[in-house]
Amino acid sequence: MKETIKRSYWSSGWDRFRKNPMGMAGAVIVVSLYLIALFAPVIAPGDPVDHGDLPSMRHLPPGGSHLLGTDKFGRDVLTRLLYGSRISLVIGFIAVAISVLIGTIVGAVAGYAGGIVDSVIMRIVDALMAIPRLFLLLTCIALFSRSIWLIIFLLGATSWMATVRLVRAQLLTIKEQDFVVAAEALGAGKRRIILKHLIPNTLTVIIISATLRIGGIILAEAALSFLGLGVPPPTPSWGQMVFEGREVLLGAWWVSTFPGLAIIITVIGYNLLGDGLRDAFDPVQFS
Amino acid sequence: MDKLLKVENLTTEFLTSEGLARAVDRFSFDIGHGETVGLVGESGCGKSVTALSIMRLVSDPPGRISGGSIFLEGKDLLSLTEKEMRKIRGNEIAIVFQEPLSSLNPVFTCGEQIREAIALHQKMGRKQSREKAVEMLRLVKIPDPGNRYFSYPHQMSGGMRQRVMIAMALSCQPKLLIADEPSTALDVSVQSQIMELLSDLRDAMSMSILLITHDLSVVAQMAERVIIMYAGTAVEEASVKEIFSDPGHPYTEGLLASIPRLNARVERLSVIPGNVPDPLNLPSGCRFSDRCPKREERCFAKEPPMFVAGKGHFVRCWLSEGQER
Repeated sequence: MKETIKRSYWSSGWDRFRKNPMGMAGAVIVVSLYLIALFAPVIAPGDPVDHGDLPSMRHLPPGGSHLLGTDKFGRDVLTRLLYGSRISLVIGFIAVAISVLIGTIVGAVAGYAGGIVDSVIMRIVDALMAIPRLFLLLTCIALFSRSIWLIIFLLGATSWMATVRLVRAQLLTIKEQDFVVAAEALGAGKRRIILKHLIPNTLTVIIISATLRIGGIILAEAALSFLGLGVPPPTPSWGQMVFEGREVLLGAWWVSTFPGLAIIITVIGYNLLGDGLRDAFDPVQFS
Repeated sequence: MDKLLKVENLTTEFLTSEGLARAVDRFSFDIGHGETVGLVGESGCGKSVTALSIMRLVSDPPGRISGGSIFLEGKDLLSLTEKEMRKIRGNEIAIVFQEPLSSLNPVFTCGEQIREAIALHQKMGRKQSREKAVEMLRLVKIPDPGNRYFSYPHQMSGGMRQRVMIAMALSCQPKLLIADEPSTALDVSVQSQIMELLSDLRDAMSMSILLITHDLSVVAQMAERVIIMYAGTAVEEASVKEIFSDPGHPYTEGLLASIPRLNARVERLSVIPGNVPDPLNLPSGCRFSDRCPKREERCFAKEPPMFVAGKGHFVRCWLSEGQER
């Protein structure tokens, strides 16, 4: 048996993470994106919804006072891009938080209870996974309204099933470990065991998977916006900007290209970060 | 005097794909107040299942306590509700497991886990229970307990972790401590320290211990009475002195012969041939008959009852035939 490892799980994981250039690149990208979103009003050269003199300012090419050009309403693309990061990041973050919360609770109950409860929950999850997500989103948005909160909620509420499977699979192995029996032997009840002993031990896996999933959620929001059913204009969102530029793709390529690049960079950033976190913190990866 | 724990005809079964396996089969024993009883047997003879049965922690399914009764100071544990049982666990009966690393939650500090054990049964504030936890660490002789409170399990050595487990188990002053091979996973020098600690604490806290082990020398060091378990039930019960001086059951003799001795020169240690029988497929008659060097015709015909072989000395063997218990 190896003698006392001096550092804690978190600090040794951080050391592994720091040595991984890809993971660090992801972390840098994600952190910068959040900084941009936070300080958008400070760094943006103009106002995202303010349009200039039409038609003279329509579709100005990149350069000069409009670094990334203007769109068909004469709005500054760079400004809208910076402000758009807010929407994408907020949607990604909150939607994943919702999905992780639901998924963890349902998965923990299924995994710990086992037996018939587990079977019923997992069959429901299987059934929900079979529903085409985009179709459901489109229907709901068409039925209700195009508000940003509805979109966030729907994205979260349709993506928790994968977390259920993950958390349940984790719990099945963890609940067999001695410390769970030891906690029961001390008189701990079911709820306490789930909250204090089981879920904390699945936390790393949950965080890693959540990070990897944010990219997918951002893509889903972009897809919705591209279909014209995303965040209502004039609020800038990257997907919507791509959508608006599609008609003039050959003439004014900058209107679609830059937000498209922003989406790609964000998704890559989150995926690199998630991969890095997994390599550094997932016990299966380093043991 | 009334016994602290009285187990009568305990039967615990497990449903396996090949049928119902009786891990514990009509096993009876008792433990007095302040007494240390050693429960000795090979791997797979049902020692640990007995411990889990007393705590009512046999996982169901596939396991099930299918018969018998367990009395703690006259209270029938098997008739309690799960909620009532939770108040017994950790509070009146506590258990220390064999593997100290996996028995601690890796994501919380040791001190925090002891604090939780205290808070489960005693109403006290956070600060107070934290002080009590530090005090428990000091009690189990962990150096620098104030700082060690913040250590994670993986930052401690095996012996230290087992001390933490003992601190957790004893934090509510249980009347009975079940020590399930508490020193098996540790190296020899640490083993004796842990056993010494346990016997010191037993005397200080006047509790009873059910010491589960496969090591007769550990029993000799600590226990007053020994129960030899084989294939799910007791085959011999006697005081420690008598087990060593006058073993009655051929299985006990075999166990004693397999202990290495310093004063005798032998080429090979003696072993008992064969393995503990499969609980799905017990031999007919005496359960030790297929491995017994002294078996006779009648051993295959009928299972012997416990015979009285002396004061407080009982043997389940036809060779000791006499008055039944």
